[in-house]
Amino acid sequence: MSEPITIEFDLDGERRSERIAPNTVLLDLLRDRCGRLGVKASCERGVCGACTTLIDGAPVASCGVFAFSLDGASVETVEGQGSADDLGPVQRAFAECGGFQCGYCTPGMVMLTTALLREHPEPDDELIRSWISSNVCRCTGYQMISDSVRRAAELAREERG
Amino acid sequence: MSEGHAAVGAGTAQGDGHTVVGTAARRGDAAPKVTGGARYSADVRLPGMLHAKVLRSPHAHARVVSVDPTRARALNGVHAVLTRDDLGGLSPTYGYFVKDQPVVAIDRVRYVGDVVAAVAAVDERVALRALELIDVVYEPLPAVPDIDAALAADAPELFEEAPPGVVPPYGTGASGRLRPRRNVCYEFRYETGPEDAWAECDHVFEDTFVFSRMNHFHLEPFVTVADVRGEQIEIWTSTQNPFPLRKELARVLQIAENRIRVHVPYVGGGFGAKHNCKTEPIAILLSRMAGRPVRYCLTTEEGFLTLSQHSAVLTVRTGVLADGTFVARDSTVLLEAGAYSDGSPLVAEKAAYRMPGPYRWKRVESSCECVMTTTTPTGPFRGFGATQSTWASESQVDMIAHRLGMDPYDLRMKNLKGLGEPFVPGESGIDSDLAEGLDVVADALGYHARARTPNRGMGLAIGFKDGGGVNKPAQARVKVSTAGDVYVNCGTVEIGQGASTALCQVVAEVLGVPLRRVVYAPINTDVTPFDQGTNASSGMTVMGQAVLRAAEAVRAQVLEFAAGRLGCAPADLTLRDWAVRRGDEVTPLPGLIMAVFGGTGFEFSGSGFFKAPNSREAPLDAPCVFWEIGWAGAEVEVDPDTGKVTVLQLVASGDVGKAVNTLICRGQDEGAAVMGLGQALFEEMRFDDGALLNGEALDYRVPMAEDLPERFVSITQEQGHGPGPFGAKGAGEGAMVPVAAAIANAVHDATGARISALPLSPERVFDALQAR
Repeated sequence: MSEPITIEFDLDGERRSERIAPNTVLLDLLRDRCGRLGVKASCERGVCGACTTLIDGAPVASCGVFAFSLDGASVETVEGQGSADDLGPVQRAFAECGGFQCGYCTPGMVMLTTALLREHPEPDDELIRSWISSNVCRCTGYQMISDSVRRAAELAREERG
Repeated sequence: MSEGHAAVGAGTAQGDGHTVVGTAARRGDAAPKVTGGARYSADVRLPGMLHAKVLRSPHAHARVVSVDPTRARALNGVHAVLTRDDLGGLSPTYGYFVKDQPVVAIDRVRYVGDVVAAVAAVDERVALRALELIDVVYEPLPAVPDIDAALAADAPELFEEAPPGVVPPYGTGASGRLRPRRNVCYEFRYETGPEDAWAECDHVFEDTFVFSRMNHFHLEPFVTVADVRGEQIEIWTSTQNPFPLRKELARVLQIAENRIRVHVPYVGGGFGAKHNCKTEPIAILLSRMAGRPVRYCLTTEEGFLTLSQHSAVLTVRTGVLADGTFVARDSTVLLEAGAYSDGSPLVAEKAAYRMPGPYRWKRVESSCECVMTTTTPTGPFRGFGATQSTWASESQVDMIAHRLGMDPYDLRMKNLKGLGEPFVPGESGIDSDLAEGLDVVADALGYHARARTPNRGMGLAIGFKDGGGVNKPAQARVKVSTAGDVYVNCGTVEIGQGASTALCQVVAEVLGVPLRRVVYAPINTDVTPFDQGTNASSGMTVMGQAVLRAAEAVRAQVLEFAAGRLGCAPADLTLRDWAVRRGDEVTPLPGLIMAVFGGTGFEFSGSGFFKAPNSREAPLDAPCVFWEIGWAGAEVEVDPDTGKVTVLQLVASGDVGKAVNTLICRGQDEGAAVMGLGQALFEEMRFDDGALLNGEALDYRVPMAEDLPERFVSITQEQGHGPGPFGAKGAGEGAMVPVAAAIANAVHDATGARISALPLSPERVFDALQAR
């Protein structure tokens, strides 16, 4: 195996430096080294989206990204979006609208929605459906997730004033 | 609330005096789940923890000549290798009625993916490398790829000797048999009514239906972390039934049940898959061998090799009068059990028992056999045999209607059982108004006003299953601290269905406290009261009744205590916000409690128990707790050039009796309906000569948001007839069960082509269109 390399990146707003094997995948780095157990591992084939994080603002399945490519990048996970007693607007919307059941897809759905609303603060139903079609939810049937995204857009609007 | 949902029925009435029950209260697991703070078994990390991987059979069927782990054991970083030579002192096979599945292969492997050996190493990479160093010699045997091959006269016998098995007690009309014929592990039969009813029939129609096999595709994989220290075994595992699991593990390991402590953190979906032994025995045995904690987590691909839904062939012979009155039905069901029996015998009971559907009959005969093949074992899956039986029954109802020149809606209405009418002799009465439910869905769909447009059509179906499990006991405990903080302690697993919140709502309502003061305690089998499992949509009707009784017991204790202190009768007092009230006089409880028990306080604690009474009259040994009914209606457009079916509208509805939490009930129905949509249109584990072709996320397609019909409406019916707390019934399966038949019926309405096999893929529909 090749020599370990050192990467520096921002994780949920904090600068980190990690020494990693070159074949380390971002998902494993986040879960095993950075303690981000909120990032969920499921299919590990880039299909289900449970491990979705934002890299420089773009939603990415972290199971399909080599960690070395993050050098100098900014990574955002669900754990940077709020805490149990101070939920972020997207998190609040999913909590209020019941846009989750088992919760395993939820961190990914929250990050996907965060990215969507940054790019399209006023998404219509078709755009919402098209965005959330990149992630699998086996529990909800998606309609209450769509409701959550619409509600998140409202809450974000209120926050902007 | 979005336009995609409605709630109807007497149970929705406002002003029923409830403050917590009947609301869309935020779930107790919302904050942890939306922040990533929720911890699942997959997230459990212990100091010194090793990681397990297993070697799987490349053969569908083979004799295992030798397994040599010498080279694997020598690899740096490997701490334990488990093979058949390490099973001494164990009872090394497990199962439900039939104990036929070995912890690791003993004499044979019986499907591609069967577990041959297991390794615990410092990480998964080392464990995977070690697997390549295990030397196995196989002597291939002929595969048994499907039901026809298994039942052929010259088929190889998958189990030459009978594995240990039991037939449970049955009541009137029902019977079971182990190994009735070659490669059949179990047969269930049911009959009722006079045989000469057939003589009355003006027509007898016989049709055969094929049901395809889905994967559960729960997002949290099968995973167990085991920590064996001396005689004490502790596991954190993604399971739906911690107590039966504990019992089975104790039997396999030949140790006392109280040496096994099962913790169940949040479960990331199960849909039936996560019952009994899955990853647990191997994690425990490796931990015992290595002397360190072991995490054994399957990949999604391995999930496909662990358990799936039952494919089935269902032949239904139905006798009717000329005017459409149903008289007699004889159903023969073959379920594909795969390589090991798992829950197949239990699914067989239900697949056969539910074949009559929600209709009146004079005579019913049903049988179901579990046919062993060299494919992934099959077992419990949302619907539990009812999805199969409803697919056949509700397809045939439409076929009969067309043969008689009737509208399928009218034929259903003519034959539906009435509210309160027993399903069969000795059974409980149907606790939904079936006709009312059908009208709700037909009206929402616009069924009666549908225009006759070429290649467009509508279909209806009624999903029917008994709910609440068979003879299922549940215990619960509710306790309240001095300050009025409430704990609910019971074994219902929070698997996404929202039971942890809904059960807390029941308690909050009874004790008159805000929901935020009620906490759902984590499950630990050492201290959690017994429960048979999180399945059969039983959370609200079975555990809900135990929890209700526990809360009422606590309330009674508190009122009695306060009445004693205040010198009045308990009946003079009401309990609200952890104070007792007598007229305008409000006495906070903490002061009263500390006056007696001292400043360190006290906890009031109440227990509750529920089980349907045993009855020899009831075919399944106890009457059904509630009837889980799902109604579905679909409008489709069929492309005659490609056979592609586009669902324009899907209306799905369950009757929850009374919605304890309206958001949760809606979510259960919508999730179930979309699973049914996938089953109807494209979801299928595809096999070629017994080899699984699409056992991974890239190739196996589950519904995505873009697959939703343009109009998807879920309707929560609250008809108010349920046996659970406040009139509640169960939810979670009913709305899946009728969807495939409703869509196939719509395809027939659109094209005149009847598709009797699932899924309704473009190829299959195109072929049926050509054959018209």
